[in-house]
Amino acid sequence: MSEARSPSDRKTLILLGNPNVGKSVLFGRITGKYATVSNYPGTTVEVSSGVSWLAGEAWRVVDTPGVNSLYPSSEDERVTRDFLLKDRPEVVLNVLDSKNLARGLMTTLELVEFGIPFVVALNLADEALDRGIVVDAAALSRCLGVPVVQTVATTGEGMADLKRAVERATVATVSGSATPEIRRSLEILDPLFAKGFPGTRAVQLALLAGDDTVLTWVGAGSAPGIGEDVLYKAGQTERSRFARPPRQILFEGREGRVREICAEVVTVRGKLAPRISQRLGVWALRPWPGFLIAGIVLFAVYQFVGVFGAGTAVNFLEGTVFGKWITPGATWVVEKVLPWEFFRDILVGPYGVIRMAFSYAFALILPIVATFFIAFGLLEDSGYLPRLSVLLDRVFRLMGLNGRAVLPMILGLGCDTMATMTTRILDTKKERIIVTLLLALTVPCSAQLAVILGMAAGLSPKVLGVWLFVLVGTTLATGWAASKILPGARSTFLMEIPPIRRPLFRNIWMKMQVRLAWYLKEVVPLFVYGTLALFFMDRWGLLKMAERGFAPVVQSWLGLPAQATEAFLIGFLRRDYGAAGLYSIQKAGFLDFRQVTVSLVLITLFMPCVAQWLMMFKERGWKGALTITVAVLVVALGIAGVLNRLLLLFPFLVS
Amino acid sequence: MTERQKFPIPSAEREDVEEALGLLWYQRELGVTDGATLRGALHAAGSPEGFDRLVRHGFVREESDHVLLTSSGDELARDVTRRLRLAERLLTDVLSLDRSAVDPNACVLEHTISPEVTESICTLLGHPVECPHGHTIPPGECCGRKDGRLSPIVVPLSRLAVGESGRVAYLQLKDHPELHRLLALGVIPGAPVHLHQTFPAFVVEVGESQLALESSIAARIFVRRAEESKIS
Ligand SMILES: [Zn+2]
Ligand SMILES: [Zn+2]
Ligand SMILES: [Zn+2]
Repeated sequence: MSEARSPSDRKTLILLGNPNVGKSVLFGRITGKYATVSNYPGTTVEVSSGVSWLAGEAWRVVDTPGVNSLYPSSEDERVTRDFLLKDRPEVVLNVLDSKNLARGLMTTLELVEFGIPFVVALNLADEALDRGIVVDAAALSRCLGVPVVQTVATTGEGMADLKRAVERATVATVSGSATPEIRRSLEILDPLFAKGFPGTRAVQLALLAGDDTVLTWVGAGSAPGIGEDVLYKAGQTERSRFARPPRQILFEGREGRVREICAEVVTVRGKLAPRISQRLGVWALRPWPGFLIAGIVLFAVYQFVGVFGAGTAVNFLEGTVFGKWITPGATWVVEKVLPWEFFRDILVGPYGVIRMAFSYAFALILPIVATFFIAFGLLEDSGYLPRLSVLLDRVFRLMGLNGRAVLPMILGLGCDTMATMTTRILDTKKERIIVTLLLALTVPCSAQLAVILGMAAGLSPKVLGVWLFVLVGTTLATGWAASKILPGARSTFLMEIPPIRRPLFRNIWMKMQVRLAWYLKEVVPLFVYGTLALFFMDRWGLLKMAERGFAPVVQSWLGLPAQATEAFLIGFLRRDYGAAGLYSIQKAGFLDFRQVTVSLVLITLFMPCVAQWLMMFKERGWKGALTITVAVLVVALGIAGVLNRLLLLFPFLVS
Repeated sequence: MTERQKFPIPSAEREDVEEALGLLWYQRELGVTDGATLRGALHAAGSPEGFDRLVRHGFVREESDHVLLTSSGDELARDVTRRLRLAERLLTDVLSLDRSAVDPNACVLEHTISPEVTESICTLLGHPVECPHGHTIPPGECCGRKDGRLSPIVVPLSRLAVGESGRVAYLQLKDHPELHRLLALGVIPGAPVHLHQTFPAFVVEVGESQLALESSIAARIFVRRAEESKIS
């Protein structure tokens, strides 16, 4: 198979549609297993791309984030809109939810204005049928003037037809929905744009709708001598001529058109009896049995991540793979090959890269994080997570947040760094700051959690109880205080709840790999640097000096042995690393119940790891990040110290 | 029966008469009926000869110290009050005007809307019972057609009972960033809605999508109740 085009000038097909219409599954069907996920330049929006053989040649296929409108009100939507204007793909594959056609067509009519050839996939045809909804694909094709194919991406139905239809993609013939007054404004704007530029209509309408972000991409589209400022002014002038917001008028025009189309192509028969998954979806939203379901889900996740991942898998990798094969093997090789003791120590000594960094990264962290991401993927793809948002909305309101913040907080249990980045989905700056603070302070990541659970395992369950109580209390109190101190209002809770669906393992596996790759790329180098830092600190006696320096705080205020300092220092490199350090101190018998409890609380609340810290600087700016850092230090040391005093007074609390 | 037949006098004067009658209706609600006080009130409202004009047109008569509305006066007073208070509701609920803008505009509207339009407004708003100030809106023909009063057809989503269905009538989200998100999510006038639950958050099915939202948003989505659930 010789390729006529080099990858860079391959034709591009982009997938576009509302959220939850099965776009990513369809993407997987089209591209097969070779897909890469990357961030759209300058954003955190993930865009998957792959290659597919369509119409006799290799195409680049791109999956864009789900959108509700192409007049963007979120970063996701802006990225998708930019794709259309800047990259100008040869063909767009517009994915619609058959059971919710009207909503999808609103975006289709927006897409029409971009003047790009497209094809419609009527996906989720099976779910529509369950609800007695039948869409006439041929009639829809006549209405729009583009090929329309019925698909069920989960089973692969209609895929061959869809691939063939790409060849027949055309610019839609459906008329735009402009009212006379809108058309008048468009005529006034026309001379400002170059003749024959296909995206002109979309840009003009965006200007009328008050979306000036569109100007970044006008570029070649404007008439000679017309700059961004002229267009900006013209847009403002035209907007001011309307008594009602043009955005509203445009919306109503499209809405009327969509109604006409739906009347022609959609037939509704009686609903079939609701499936068990639909019933489950309803139950999971109600307090009863919603919280019971949440409990069961949580327990299942704990069994899989905590018991299987952190227990069985770690024991095997750490005890057998590393303990019996890799570490002894590496030691044997190193001792044969390297004559210098210094280098031997760096690799296989107690603070050696192989003995410490690699075994921590691959034997301890990898299985835990991998199982967590599988569990998270299952919750994500099954549509369960938004239900948790609904259940916890009230609790989150106490902290100046709403249910949407549940997602980054749960992701934080996997990796706080990734979660800090995800705070971008929150609406206001205030909410992003509060969640970033809580992620840094109280949310333990999965690896750390595993070590903590391991430490508490052999002790009285009271230890874990006190730890959990302090953690939840600190979360609520800190969130509440931050919401009172920070200016601004909480945003209101509004969220779409997708139906409960059976997740496709293929999809979860792919997502897990992408997340895991990201995670390892971040973790392994840090482990190596951290281990090296420890190695030299140990060699030069800095470790002992730090222990002496921090002794007043560690020994008198916190009541911990001096060696604990080391754990907190390396805890900054990796949270779980610090926890693991404590674990070894505990194993050596240096900690009593009170000290274990205090150190568990402290290591959880204490400084976030370096990666998360850097992410905080990136996302919140240096001022925000420093403020959060100081807040975390003060609260963590304060609470741990007070807890120490309390437990000295009431030792029965933990023994 | 049209407006003109009911009251065949020139329009500027008509407005004054309507205004005066509206004032008398309001005073009667407050329990004020004595002649001297009412004359004073009309005077203070900038219509010193208003009372005599009402007597001249036969809308009002005096018995000892008390002022009584004649049957034609009662009808017109009731009508103008109804129009004013419906106009206030319309400007407040649908157009989301500021309070300071509602009163003067409602005062102009009340004189210009025809009986048919009054009835349409009343039906659109779900036959409201009170004006935004909390005064009773005199019911019209449309309000009590079947057995006594019907429960309002248009109510905020937050007042719908769990399990009830209807269609979106209008959104009251002036200058609210959520407005466009709601529209894009399919919450548009005419869309069928079904309320699933109200706690911990509102869950509604709009079209074929399920949305979770909090009560402050639910209070701004007005729903026309489905026919079968109309009679309470
Ligand atoms: Zn008036
Ligand atoms: Zn009033
Ligand atoms: Zn009525």
